[in-house]
Amino acid sequence: MNNSSKKYTNATTLVLICGVIISILVGVKTISTDADSYPRRPLTNVVVWSAGGGTDVANRVISAELAKALGTDINVTNKPGGVAGSLGLSYVNQRRSDGYTLVGLSESCVTAAVMGGWAERMDTWYPFIIGGSPDLISVSANSPFTSVEQLVAYALANPNKVKAAAAGSGSLHHLNLLAFAKGTQAEFKFVPYPGSAPSQTAVVTEEVDIVITSMAEQQQLIKSGQLRPLAMLTNKAFSDDDIGDIPTALDVYPALKQHLPITQVIGFAVNADTPDNIKVKLTQAFDQAMQSDKVKQWADDNYFVLSGKSGAQASDVFSKLESLFGWTLEELGAAKHSPAKFGINKIDAQG
Amino acid sequence: MIEQFQHFFTVLWGLATDPVNLLIVFAASFLGIIFGALPGLTATLGVALLTTLTYGLDVNSALLALLGLYVGAIYGGSYPSILINIPGTAAAAATAMEGYPLASKGEGGKALGLTTTASTIGTLFGLLILVLMAPLIASVALQFTSFEFFLLALFGILISGTLTSEGDALKGWIAGFFGLFLACIGRDTLQFFPRFTFDMPQLDSGLDIVPVLIGAFGIPQIIKVLAERKKLAQAKEFDSVVPEFSEIRKNSKNIARSASIGVGIGAVPGIGEDIAGWVSYGAAKGAAKDKSKFGQGDKSGLIASETANNACIGGALIPLLTLGIPGSAPAAMLLGALMLHGINPGPTLPVEKPDFLLEITAILVLASVAMFCNGMLLAKQVVKLLKVPAPLFMPFVAILCVLGSYALGLNVFNLFLMVPIGIIAYWMIELKYPISPMIIGLILGPMADENLRRALLTTEGDLLPMLSRPVSLILILIMLVVIFQQMPWFKSLLRKCCSAFKSQPNKEEA
Repeated sequence: MNNSSKKYTNATTLVLICGVIISILVGVKTISTDADSYPRRPLTNVVVWSAGGGTDVANRVISAELAKALGTDINVTNKPGGVAGSLGLSYVNQRRSDGYTLVGLSESCVTAAVMGGWAERMDTWYPFIIGGSPDLISVSANSPFTSVEQLVAYALANPNKVKAAAAGSGSLHHLNLLAFAKGTQAEFKFVPYPGSAPSQTAVVTEEVDIVITSMAEQQQLIKSGQLRPLAMLTNKAFSDDDIGDIPTALDVYPALKQHLPITQVIGFAVNADTPDNIKVKLTQAFDQAMQSDKVKQWADDNYFVLSGKSGAQASDVFSKLESLFGWTLEELGAAKHSPAKFGINKIDAQG
Repeated sequence: MIEQFQHFFTVLWGLATDPVNLLIVFAASFLGIIFGALPGLTATLGVALLTTLTYGLDVNSALLALLGLYVGAIYGGSYPSILINIPGTAAAAATAMEGYPLASKGEGGKALGLTTTASTIGTLFGLLILVLMAPLIASVALQFTSFEFFLLALFGILISGTLTSEGDALKGWIAGFFGLFLACIGRDTLQFFPRFTFDMPQLDSGLDIVPVLIGAFGIPQIIKVLAERKKLAQAKEFDSVVPEFSEIRKNSKNIARSASIGVGIGAVPGIGEDIAGWVSYGAAKGAAKDKSKFGQGDKSGLIASETANNACIGGALIPLLTLGIPGSAPAAMLLGALMLHGINPGPTLPVEKPDFLLEITAILVLASVAMFCNGMLLAKQVVKLLKVPAPLFMPFVAILCVLGSYALGLNVFNLFLMVPIGIIAYWMIELKYPISPMIIGLILGPMADENLRRALLTTEGDLLPMLSRPVSLILILIMLVVIFQQMPWFKSLLRKCCSAFKSQPNKEEA
């Protein structure tokens, strides 16, 4: 009896391990079909960041609506890892360009090449942009600063004294901070943190003075009164029943318009060499999905600004970000390869 | 208050009477135990994989699955710790200190039974504190800035070095600092400067913890068991897994202390189950009258580490639910899962969803019950593994080690990493250097390094704030005591002080 149960335990363990390994390894197989009858089977959206993150949630919401418009199912899976999502990027890039495999990506993916993740540029994609949450400057509720003018005046008088948190070096929020400093000519002392949440906590504990992260990330702390929003880094001022009115720094300092806004860009893409008629079908479905009440409601609830750009317009956004991120990282000494190696030209943010 | 209780029991009853939910929580808890027990598969990975799978379920069922797995995985790590002296997760490293000697003495079944009970009590105790003290603990957790995190990391390394070395604490600290060195490898997180990478791209992101953990614990154990041709451990025919309740009662003070430590450590963002186990093990050793039994299979040490690492779950949920800051790595994955279901944990959660805290408590109660039932059923079967002859069993363990190291990033480089680390660890053990501080050093290294440098960045190189902040001053004092306690002159000074204190009244009488 002992023997049989021992075997039993061993066998179950083995089966379970195999199960786990297989589920990790299994990708989704695609078979080619005729482009005219697209889509004839379910699509797969491979999100390059992990489940529950901003990119993942946005892609799940849009995929559900996109599926309705296309009349088929879309399975959303996650393939995080590599450098700046390069694992998922190269996985989808190597699939057949038949429109059945989408890649869910965000603005951070534009650094995959210069950071040594892979050797492709963003022009390998035909992108669709869902949108993103705008960045803003906030201070602790106990801070002496009550307006962005006060903050900048103090920073101009005391260069390098105001400590600023904005996630890690070379992150989207760091780029916003750099642009804000350039536009106002104030000097801030940048203190890197491993992510947006720790940056915000650092302001709440008053380890640093100001924080730049996105509205979606700060909303909880603003609503509970732990953070005081000073100014948006977008073209338009912000207004909301729960949060109140927040002016935009771009109105106060027009010089900022040369460099800002640099907003989060979340979306999905197919390979650039996908047949044109499939691209057209996808674009129609995407436009329809972006107009749906579900997507609009979700964006409202989560302080997400919808974009809806696709194709050439969206590619333009990504190539600008690619240059901006690539060259900033190069100047920080963080880039593994020079952006010039991939033919990425240096342009000014709003060039 | 009564209304809240009523609501709590309605939720619990509603969940417990739904057969589908019961099936989900039992299956998830079973899967969690397997994840915890297999070296290389961690609670974090389990929660991550399950998050995607539970997207389609409603919120409560999804949370049942995720929390069931989380609780099960933290508990499951104790199996291999006790049975083969290879911790399944870093959280169970302290468990091996007493668990494996117990199993070698033929009390493996009893050890597993005690572990199961201690884990269940720990989880429930953690919950109680979560419900009662959440706002208070959250405000204390906000006292932690970069300086405190640096000191906390250093404290973790120091304490594990002191506890694990047989005799000379210096050897434990050396192992800990070796771990700190290993943590330096890779590009630094603040400025991306490559350190000790020798232009190898695989080293850029630093050493993965899992292959190092498996290599350092697994390989020496495999070599040792095979070289000494000994049996893994004794398994008595009638070794019962049902714990004697006298044992639990005897340890009630120990359990209360360990659970409080677990919750406290869990509540501080950035450190989690692994440190909780060590600190409470140390506290139990410090409080014990007879310290000589520690390391030889002392049950109170086993109970301490297992209670604390499970109590940590409740603790880790406190900053997650009240501040939106996850208290440990698996809790960070949980945060993602919650957001996926449209729940934004944070300061406004009690306003937006006032009953959520009670609901999640009910879910966790159910999860720990499922863990207890699964654990008791499994423990009886798992002990029988010890009857497999080592020459047959160890190669199987070796394959598991290789699979585990590879499975986590599907990276062949991790295998090249595992083997040399294993060989270094084998020689360290032969030279009587403990392994655990090295692992703790690797885990806490980035935290110590990054936070010290960030703290100096914010104070412009000034170290004085470290002494003027209350929490960091307390941490420094504790560390000084830990260090000086290892020095003979300090010990004798302490003894003199104590005896002078005691003998004073006598002198007056004379």
